[in-house]
Amino acid sequence: MAKPSIGVYGLTGCAGCQLNIINCEDELLDIAAAVDIKSFIMAQTGNVECEIDIAFVEGAVSNEKQKKQLLDIRERAGLLVAIGTCASWGGVEAMINDVPREVAKKDVYGDTMKDNPFYDCFNPMPLKDVVKVDFQIVGCPIERPQFIQAVASLLNGNLPLLPTYALCTECKFKENECLLIEQDKFCLGPVTKAGCGARCPSNNIPCEGCRGPVFEANYASEVEIMLEKGYTKEYIAQQMSTFAGTISAEDLGARKLVKTDIP
Amino acid sequence: MKSLRMAKRHLPKFLESLGKWGKVYVPVKLGKNSYRWEEFDGEVDNIALDALRTVIPAKKFFYKPREVMFEYDKTNGYTQACAECEEDVILFGIHSCGIHSLETLDNIFAGKYVDNYYFTRRKNITIVGTSCMPDKHCFCKSMGADTVDEGYDIFLTDLGDDFLIGVGSSKGDDIVNDNPDIYEEVDESTTKRYLEFRNKRDESFELVLDTSDLPTILDFQYDNPLWDELGERCLACGSCSMVCPTCYCYNVDDTINLDSETGERWREWDCCLFRDHALVAGGHNFRENQGGRLKHRYLHKQQAYLGDFGRTACVGCGRCIVACPANIDYVECLKAMRGEMTSA
Amino acid sequence: MLSKQTVKLDPANNPYKPRLARIVSIKPQAPDHKLFQLRFEDRDYAESFCTRPGQFAELSIIGVGECPISISSPPTRKGIVEMCVRRTGRVTNALFDLPTNSMVGLRGPYGNGYPVEDMEGNDLLMIAGGLGMAPLRSLLWYALDNRARFNRVILLYGTRSPEDLLFREEFDDLITRADLECHVTVDKDPTGNWPYNVGVVTSLFDKVDNLNPDTTYAAICGPPVVYKFVIDQLLKLNFSKGRILMSLERMMKCGIGKCLHCSIGHKYTCLDGPIFTYWDAINLRESI
Repeated sequence: MAKPSIGVYGLTGCAGCQLNIINCEDELLDIAAAVDIKSFIMAQTGNVECEIDIAFVEGAVSNEKQKKQLLDIRERAGLLVAIGTCASWGGVEAMINDVPREVAKKDVYGDTMKDNPFYDCFNPMPLKDVVKVDFQIVGCPIERPQFIQAVASLLNGNLPLLPTYALCTECKFKENECLLIEQDKFCLGPVTKAGCGARCPSNNIPCEGCRGPVFEANYASEVEIMLEKGYTKEYIAQQMSTFAGTISAEDLGARKLVKTDIP
Repeated sequence: MKSLRMAKRHLPKFLESLGKWGKVYVPVKLGKNSYRWEEFDGEVDNIALDALRTVIPAKKFFYKPREVMFEYDKTNGYTQACAECEEDVILFGIHSCGIHSLETLDNIFAGKYVDNYYFTRRKNITIVGTSCMPDKHCFCKSMGADTVDEGYDIFLTDLGDDFLIGVGSSKGDDIVNDNPDIYEEVDESTTKRYLEFRNKRDESFELVLDTSDLPTILDFQYDNPLWDELGERCLACGSCSMVCPTCYCYNVDDTINLDSETGERWREWDCCLFRDHALVAGGHNFRENQGGRLKHRYLHKQQAYLGDFGRTACVGCGRCIVACPANIDYVECLKAMRGEMTSA
Repeated sequence: MLSKQTVKLDPANNPYKPRLARIVSIKPQAPDHKLFQLRFEDRDYAESFCTRPGQFAELSIIGVGECPISISSPPTRKGIVEMCVRRTGRVTNALFDLPTNSMVGLRGPYGNGYPVEDMEGNDLLMIAGGLGMAPLRSLLWYALDNRARFNRVILLYGTRSPEDLLFREEFDDLITRADLECHVTVDKDPTGNWPYNVGVVTSLFDKVDNLNPDTTYAAICGPPVVYKFVIDQLLKLNFSKGRILMSLERMMKCGIGKCLHCSIGHKYTCLDGPIFTYWDAINLRESI
């Protein structure tokens, strides 16, 4: 039987997720032995853009060229897996999506870049806004063990099972002191998807929500808790939209659960 | 029961002696106001003797937050994996509520189908309990878990200069016999001081929950809108269940290796407040809203478990009250259901 | 040993451990429904594997996961375990990809099963909707294989359309059997070739004469809508709530009363169920 073919692609993002794949040093040979890597521009030469079994796509979609590229990948791929928080939620690129793009562009570039094709961008959006996404491996960047587990599961013919619960649960497994309760820190653990092993809280840094929201994230309750602790509405909204800016400001403030629909 | 007295200055010797029976774990301070079970480093001063509740209860020694149940390969099937089950461990510093909680878990993991993983550890873990003085979140007295007369190997009660040493098992007897010089017989003054301690402790409980008739009351309050109000505040973060010494539900998943041949079957603590808990294949969710999930947790503890085993699945340790980011208070909620004035 | 529980630790008998079983045959039933015949690799175990009608087992697809599936074969047929499965989730998807002769894991049987001791000597009325036939089939064949122990045996079975009828090859015979009153129906017949009744399953009640609620046990299995309408009908016929038996579906992850995923109120579907009387069910508020 032919080895399953894969492609790894990057749109707007820092390429950190792709780098983390390359950093799977102990497993990289096993992965390379198990799959046929048709395209992975960051890691190899001689890439072929053909039909593939699984596409891993990093980054948000922020211009027409990328949109076309993504549609083309979707067309060629059996399964499309979003890797990283940008591809899943827009990530930090979408942080200021509430500012009109024209204003943002002018603020950043002034008039100097007008002829540069990179200037032609729109509000960055997650892959799911453009194409059907079969699975998301969230994280900023993705966690190596999760990537390997996901690949192994996909090779076996099943969608991976990654944690769906909130970071607090993992933080409890680590027996950390609760930074939100005991130290009144601004922690997004209760609304953020677990999977990182509560890396930041285990080092006394509150969760910034870099893995994006859990299914049914109760933003309303989180906002109330933070307001009670004395954080301002503006600060709360700013923190919450850092990685999940594509969730509307209304969702962040209203008494509303934010439901997500991709495994 | 055999009782002895030990001057506090002998504690280092006592702990040293414990080491002969396995790895000793003790509560240590962590951050501003939290405690965690850690392996004893030999420094008695590092033990938080005043710790009331560790972030995660002693349950984790018997029932791991995440553990491999089986290793499998596609040709030979499943092989039980339990390397650390056989490790000898001594828990020093577990309180009365913790000992009661183990009894609660015993009921579940025994029965017609015995959970080998749990009971192998239960057999290999030595329990050295210590007395405590309740704070404003302790309600073990209301749950009937404030005192123990069994379920430990040794129990130390703080009597000021001395510890009263209760020997609760043959293994406990072996431990005290290993180091006979550090113990003295109990005398009249010991009894007097014990009674003083007991009365003082008894009077220190600030939080009281009347449990009389609670199952029936909860039945009547099934449609109380408070459940949904609390459900709206609940973040489903799982904290209350993870820190609960009597919560036992778990989830199972299989991971596979890159060879597509071998892998592991895991189980991991779960929580009935999670969306997926009552979800079945095909997408139907038998508990669709958060209020219903929260109610399920409370009813399970105060009604369902009670019906099965004659005691509640709550020992009043107060962990869930402390650990809820949304300030959902278990006792306040149940008081409200009883029609008592509260701020729940 | 500080636990008050007397437990026998037997590492060779881990109740969570699936035993290897082989898929002996696969019979397609309806779109996304197949009947799998399984046999434990250990022949002695296969012969000694003893079930009650209405029980379930935990099926493991090695490398994928485990899920509860009801047993469709009756205890009167030893050696083979039959499971009629709908492709719905992760595990069943993987099962459908397996060819005959593949190895799977199986443990069980679990659950209370039907109270056949009480039911014997009575009339038996079975009402199934869709995949609800899967667990009821074990009861059906238990009754037919022990025919003398029951008085009337009646089966009413409804599906959405003719192609959804499960165990089709059996029904051609069942319908003609003299010792069984068997009626099938489909909600809709787009083919026009359906020789039997068209209408919802409750419309079959008209075909059964002289039901005596005092000497009949009604066993129902199907989607929630079937329970609702069938129970209404049975209550109208003066059935006592304790004589109406339902098979409830939950995610029984462990099957043995530990993991709590299948709890309904104070009951565990895996230990106290999956068969509940209607009286039990109305006292379990989340049950239907």
